[in-house]
Amino acid sequence: MESLQKEHDRLLNKSNLSKPLTSIDKILSALTTARAQISSDPTSTAATAITLAKLQNQINPIVAHLNDDQKEIHSALTKYGKALDKKFKTAASASTDYEPLNGDRESGLISRAIAMHLIREGSFDVASMFFQEAEEKGEMLDIEDGLTREFRDLYEILDAMKVRRDLGPAIQWARNKATLLDARGSNLEFELCRLQYIWYFMGGEIGGVGNKRALEYARREFGRFQDKYLPEIEKLITAFAFLPTIHSSPYAPLFSDPERMWTDVSRSFTKEFCSLLGLSAESPLYIAATAGAIALPTLLKMTSIRKEKNTAWSSVNELPVEIPLPPRYQFHSIFVCPVSKDQTTETNPPMMLPCGHVIAQDSLHRLAKGGSQVTLKCPYCPKESTAAQAKRVYL
Amino acid sequence: MAVDATKLNAESHLLLDQPLLRLPYEVHRKTFKTAQKHLERDCTNLTSSLSNLIASVQASSSADTDTDSTLCSSETVTGTPAVAALDTMITRMQGLKRKLESLHKEEKEVMLQSKKRIAHLQDLYTIPSLADEGYDQWSRLRLDRLLVDALLRSGYGESARMLAGEKGIEDLVDVDVFVQCARIEASLKRGSTAECLAWCSENRNTLRKNKSTLEFNLRLQQYIELVRTGNLVEAIAYSKKHLAPHHETHLPEIEKAAALLAYSADTNYQPYKSLYSPKRWDHLAEFFVSTHHSLYSLPSSPLLHIALSAGLSCLKTPACHSKTMSSSSNTASSTTSLCPICSTELNELARGVPYAHHVRSSVEPDPVVLPNGRIYGRERLREASVKGGVRPGWVRDPTTGDEFEESEVRKVYIS
Repeated sequence: MESLQKEHDRLLNKSNLSKPLTSIDKILSALTTARAQISSDPTSTAATAITLAKLQNQINPIVAHLNDDQKEIHSALTKYGKALDKKFKTAASASTDYEPLNGDRESGLISRAIAMHLIREGSFDVASMFFQEAEEKGEMLDIEDGLTREFRDLYEILDAMKVRRDLGPAIQWARNKATLLDARGSNLEFELCRLQYIWYFMGGEIGGVGNKRALEYARREFGRFQDKYLPEIEKLITAFAFLPTIHSSPYAPLFSDPERMWTDVSRSFTKEFCSLLGLSAESPLYIAATAGAIALPTLLKMTSIRKEKNTAWSSVNELPVEIPLPPRYQFHSIFVCPVSKDQTTETNPPMMLPCGHVIAQDSLHRLAKGGSQVTLKCPYCPKESTAAQAKRVYL
Repeated sequence: MAVDATKLNAESHLLLDQPLLRLPYEVHRKTFKTAQKHLERDCTNLTSSLSNLIASVQASSSADTDTDSTLCSSETVTGTPAVAALDTMITRMQGLKRKLESLHKEEKEVMLQSKKRIAHLQDLYTIPSLADEGYDQWSRLRLDRLLVDALLRSGYGESARMLAGEKGIEDLVDVDVFVQCARIEASLKRGSTAECLAWCSENRNTLRKNKSTLEFNLRLQQYIELVRTGNLVEAIAYSKKHLAPHHETHLPEIEKAAALLAYSADTNYQPYKSLYSPKRWDHLAEFFVSTHHSLYSLPSSPLLHIALSAGLSCLKTPACHSKTMSSSSNTASSTTSLCPICSTELNELARGVPYAHHVRSSVEPDPVVLPNGRIYGRERLREASVKGGVRPGWVRDPTTGDEFEESEVRKVYIS
């Protein structure tokens, strides 16, 4: 990267067209001077000849210099080009073997994914332009009508929190959806109200710890949460006993970083909001593209090895190499059968033996030699059972 | 393994970003080539007209002394014409200066663009790991770039421009190049070769070096159109002028084109029927786009597609298209979040791709199984039950909502 930067700096600072331009200015001024001299004494042939000869003597080296300038720029450009070649040894188009995304159906689905991404990221203007252009092209995006409106609501709520520090709309939304949120075991509403209390307690935008507004708020709102969150509420209220030295009290952690609390609460709000719409919390397009960029070097390497060794890819359903991704890109639990080393699937699900060990169904059948009443020993402990006693489990 | 997985290897990570620097480099080179052409032509012209002028002055001055003429011819032969000649040179040089100045402006723009792009890529080297928040931001910016690129390539020019403006990444994307490309593509689809021919002549040298047959094919199509409309005389003249010079490389095509004169547009005989086919225009448009992209070292498919096809596969698990709801990733409970492949945006798209390869199981810590066969981490089950307000001594399945007594919860061994 350094050499690339160095070569480019050379172009930027030195080897560019500013040089020939200076030379051209010199030529122009020589020409104008000569012209002025000749026109001041147009009758004398000899004087004209001398002026012109002088002019030629002036101009020829400049022209020669101009050629050198060009050569210099050319070589600097070539060097930069070489630095680029060195930096990017493999062509970007050299992609993986399989290109499942280039058909018409796929490109339509990608357009749909892009449109949804724009909406969920709050780029509503771009999204509406996208819809307009899609319509002109006659492309069907198949996106639920209400989606834009839902996300507009979301961004209004988030904006109120971020810009005006106003939790009102968020709390209102959480109350409207209380049944659904409860079913998910979500404590979003309490989280929001707690933040409201803490914000009041810290004095909000006015400042000053221990604002009485907090106490009023607690009296008015916390009653509803008493059943579930009593210990939490007790902590929040007891903080009043430690005024004004709250920051050196045992309750300090509750109030230490309000900025962070705002971002955390916004994040949980977004997550709950998306989940109720049946969507993942972060844009799938973002996660997938990032994971793809992480995976690409490994996949490319695999492709080149495969080509070199001329081996075929044995299982079409599964990638031939493991690609390590950071933990936050792991969503589902993975079960790899310890006997067959296969990942379990819908047709070959994980089965739990009575002893609590889990193996894949295919392995189970193999151990039982096909009979559901044949006794088999667990591959991991001495316990014996039959295939019929094994139980399907869900990860 | 977890430590290993967050390691960021910036060098190989930039694989996708080659066109980011390649394209401005190609533009830069083209600008310089044009400047070089102007410089060469005008400077040669300058030196030769200066020598000519000197020669003619010398000739007239020697004529002067030879004949000792008293006529005022000396004045007309030397002074004024010399001034006039110098004026021509000055005008020409001024013209060159103007051209060069505008090229220099373009050059500066493209250099600043490259500078910003290099700085953007350089940023990646300062990010310690994939788990760092900085990487998240960098990757979001990259996604915006990839999106603009994908939008441009599929003909969503205005959306692309708006997105680039909204995100403030105009310098990191190449809207103009693609918009120009799309314009020429559209003109071909409309049945006009003019704009594409102009583009060809602009890039004649590079195209010749790459042995591109684009121009010949455009000329051939123009000829076919002349024949189609019955302008046979004109067609023959056109073919003499524009097709015949390609005889070394395209003789069979030229012969076929000549024979086309004998067939009318509704013929059923091959290959003449296909020569008349209006579909040729679409092929030409495709051909142009691929020529254009290779000229600028742009990959043929959008980078977003390349990133996605890799990303979908390495995220996909057998559970993503399963009919039974996964215990570890669903929208039923606030303790998990939905996997991006299971979310509706990408689910259909990922249907055909292979799923990721794993050699080890990875499950939540301390897994337990409920009587209904669902497996959870003990801690998550407890947390979900507390949050769900389940009576003491009981647990609630976060996926199905069923409640069980704690004594029914069993330890499960997953290796």
